Amino acid sequence: MESMQHTAIVGLVVVACLASAATAETRREYRYPVGPKASVTVDTEYGSISVKPGTTREVVVVALIHSDKAKIDISQEGNRLEFESHLLPGADEQTGRVDYEVTVPPDTTLNLHSSNGPISAERIQADVAVEGATAPVEIRSVGHGHVHVKTMKGTITLSDVRSAHVEITSISGDVHLNSVSGPLVQVNSGSGRIYYDGDFGSGGDYNFSTHTGDIEALIASGASADFTAHSMQGHVQSDVPLKPKENNRFPVEVGRSFFGTVGKAASEVILKSFSGKIRLKQR
Amino acid sequence: MTCSEVQRVLPEMMDGAPNNELQAHLEKCPACSDLVAELELISIEAHQLVESNEPSPRVWLAIAAELRSEGLIRDPEAKPGRPVLVPTERRRWNAWWLVPVAAALLVAASYVGMRKPATQIAEKPAVVAPANAPDLAAQSNQQKPAPQVAETKRPVPIDRSLDEPSVSAPVQVVSTEDRQFLDDVGQRSPRMKAEFESQLRAVNSYIRDAEAYLKQNPGDEDARQHVMAAYEQKAMLYQMALNHIQ
Amino acid sequence: MTDPKLAKTAEAEAIERAKQGDEAAFEVLYNLHKRRVYSLCLRMVSNPAQAEDLAQEAFLQLFRKVGTFRGESAFSTWLHRMTVNVVLMNLRKKGLPVVSLEETIETDEESPKKELGGPDLKLAGSLDRLQLQRAIEKLPPGYKTIFVLHDVEGFEHNEIATMVGCSIGNSKSQLHKARLKLRDYLKFMRAEKAEKQ
Repeated sequence: MESMQHTAIVGLVVVACLASAATAETRREYRYPVGPKASVTVDTEYGSISVKPGTTREVVVVALIHSDKAKIDISQEGNRLEFESHLLPGADEQTGRVDYEVTVPPDTTLNLHSSNGPISAERIQADVAVEGATAPVEIRSVGHGHVHVKTMKGTITLSDVRSAHVEITSISGDVHLNSVSGPLVQVNSGSGRIYYDGDFGSGGDYNFSTHTGDIEALIASGASADFTAHSMQGHVQSDVPLKPKENNRFPVEVGRSFFGTVGKAASEVILKSFSGKIRLKQR
Repeated sequence: MTCSEVQRVLPEMMDGAPNNELQAHLEKCPACSDLVAELELISIEAHQLVESNEPSPRVWLAIAAELRSEGLIRDPEAKPGRPVLVPTERRRWNAWWLVPVAAALLVAASYVGMRKPATQIAEKPAVVAPANAPDLAAQSNQQKPAPQVAETKRPVPIDRSLDEPSVSAPVQVVSTEDRQFLDDVGQRSPRMKAEFESQLRAVNSYIRDAEAYLKQNPGDEDARQHVMAAYEQKAMLYQMALNHIQ
Repeated sequence: MTDPKLAKTAEAEAIERAKQGDEAAFEVLYNLHKRRVYSLCLRMVSNPAQAEDLAQEAFLQLFRKVGTFRGESAFSTWLHRMTVNVVLMNLRKKGLPVVSLEETIETDEESPKKELGGPDLKLAGSLDRLQLQRAIEKLPPGYKTIFVLHDVEGFEHNEIATMVGCSIGNSKSQLHKARLKLRDYLKFMRAEKAEKQ
């Protein structure tokens, strides 16, 4: 019995070794000291990118290269670092995959690109620009900079993003904004749905637009905003009592638009859809 | 100026603009003058070393072998293959035409968006539910406009028959640029071509809807903004394709 | 001597053919710039085998991006910057100091030091290039980097400051100290040679 167990264990180890040899996965770690306000670009055709802040003035990148069909080019010029995966002939989505785990000082500007992702960044106090085709994107606790996100159909989730200039474009990916506020928050979506849960704070301009995607906004009590909502062909409804406005941009169409203010109307919120539904609710 | 002051300022002054005080001291002090002359000589001679060494032949052989393995060097007679992903193919595809197309899309959107509205705001069109969007049709039937809103509305017949073709039907390519765009993406990656095709279909649908609505209601500011938003999405799609191809 | 205009045309043609995958075109570009690239690498690392590896890496990185070269800047400038980056990254990876941490000039004398006794060994006329190369090799790594980038390769202090991550003042200070050290090395070598003779 014991010898059978022993044989089984040895067999498993051999299989594991052969499997890892066959995939030829390689883990590489890179460390670069940087000064204040550094810039890091990670560009991979296939693979995940995850960025977190560190406590030292160092950029640490751990790359998992899934096969020898992918290589990494690195360049550094002063405070600017670029990591770019490039694929060799015959590479596909599996063999060409390179996953990145990145640790940066919190004041580092990020440019992240991956076709299939996922891509995530958290607790960064600098500009963040993300582009993914089908990649789901998650950005958490980022602020005091610009946040630009573009996807074709990847879902975009922003949480706890404050005092930021936010611009999001997605053709068919859903967009979730939880506690997002700033001088400008702009979302341009096609068929993707937009969900907003927050207070529309900071006295900013909020502009959500869709083609066929629905827009749902859940506002906190104490919100202070001036609302304009209009859908050309979709149903529009406000469950929040709004103070009427004197001057509207276009005539009121019940069921197609609503206007009004809550609180002191500090922020301006424009919700418009071509044929999607729009709903405003109170938390 | 003393010799120690000269020592202190030399790092700044050596390669910079002439300094009268320094010059005056150098004319009187042979030691400092020799020092400066020798440092300048070192600098001048050093620059002659810029191409003084040659690597061994193995360097080129290694470079050529690597370029071949990455597909960056190919035989002139060989027909370019069509692997699933040919990253080096990007070197041969000149997709820079996409840049002006993307720019043109934005300009077109801006032009449409900035056309002056009619002197009187056109009346709102009647809501015509699209033929194959039953949800919207059901809702629009339930939520008819209130009687106090302007009665006269121009219907906007939106033909969605081109928007959602069946899986087996070819995409309704509306322009030469779209067709070339998809072909270029397809050369790079057939799997991504299907994705881009699907997104292009969605974006073109948005553009058609918005333009049709605006055409019927030229004074509608929202319609104009929807046209802009639709073209922005298309320009983004083209830019993503460009990044993907390169 | 090759007409610079003709050389530029040949280079531009080679770039276009390289974009099409022409091996001969890559080789033309390599031959046009190999001495400059290798010399820079050799001067920074003082090890021929390592310098060849770095030169190889610099050319490979450049050739991988040749498809995106649009001719807005000189190809040689592009290659030059890329080579410097490859070398600096290599130095950083090895934990070698890229720039000396010293900020101030050490000497505080009224007149230049005369370390050597005997006859006056003024550096004048032209220098023995072999001696100069050897002297550069002896420089501490931080001084060597700045000296090679400025005096050999011709970068300006603001460019060097960006590349190596130091201040312009530090770059000037390091350069001056590098030159002073080289002066000392060269005088010593001359004295040794004179004694042998």
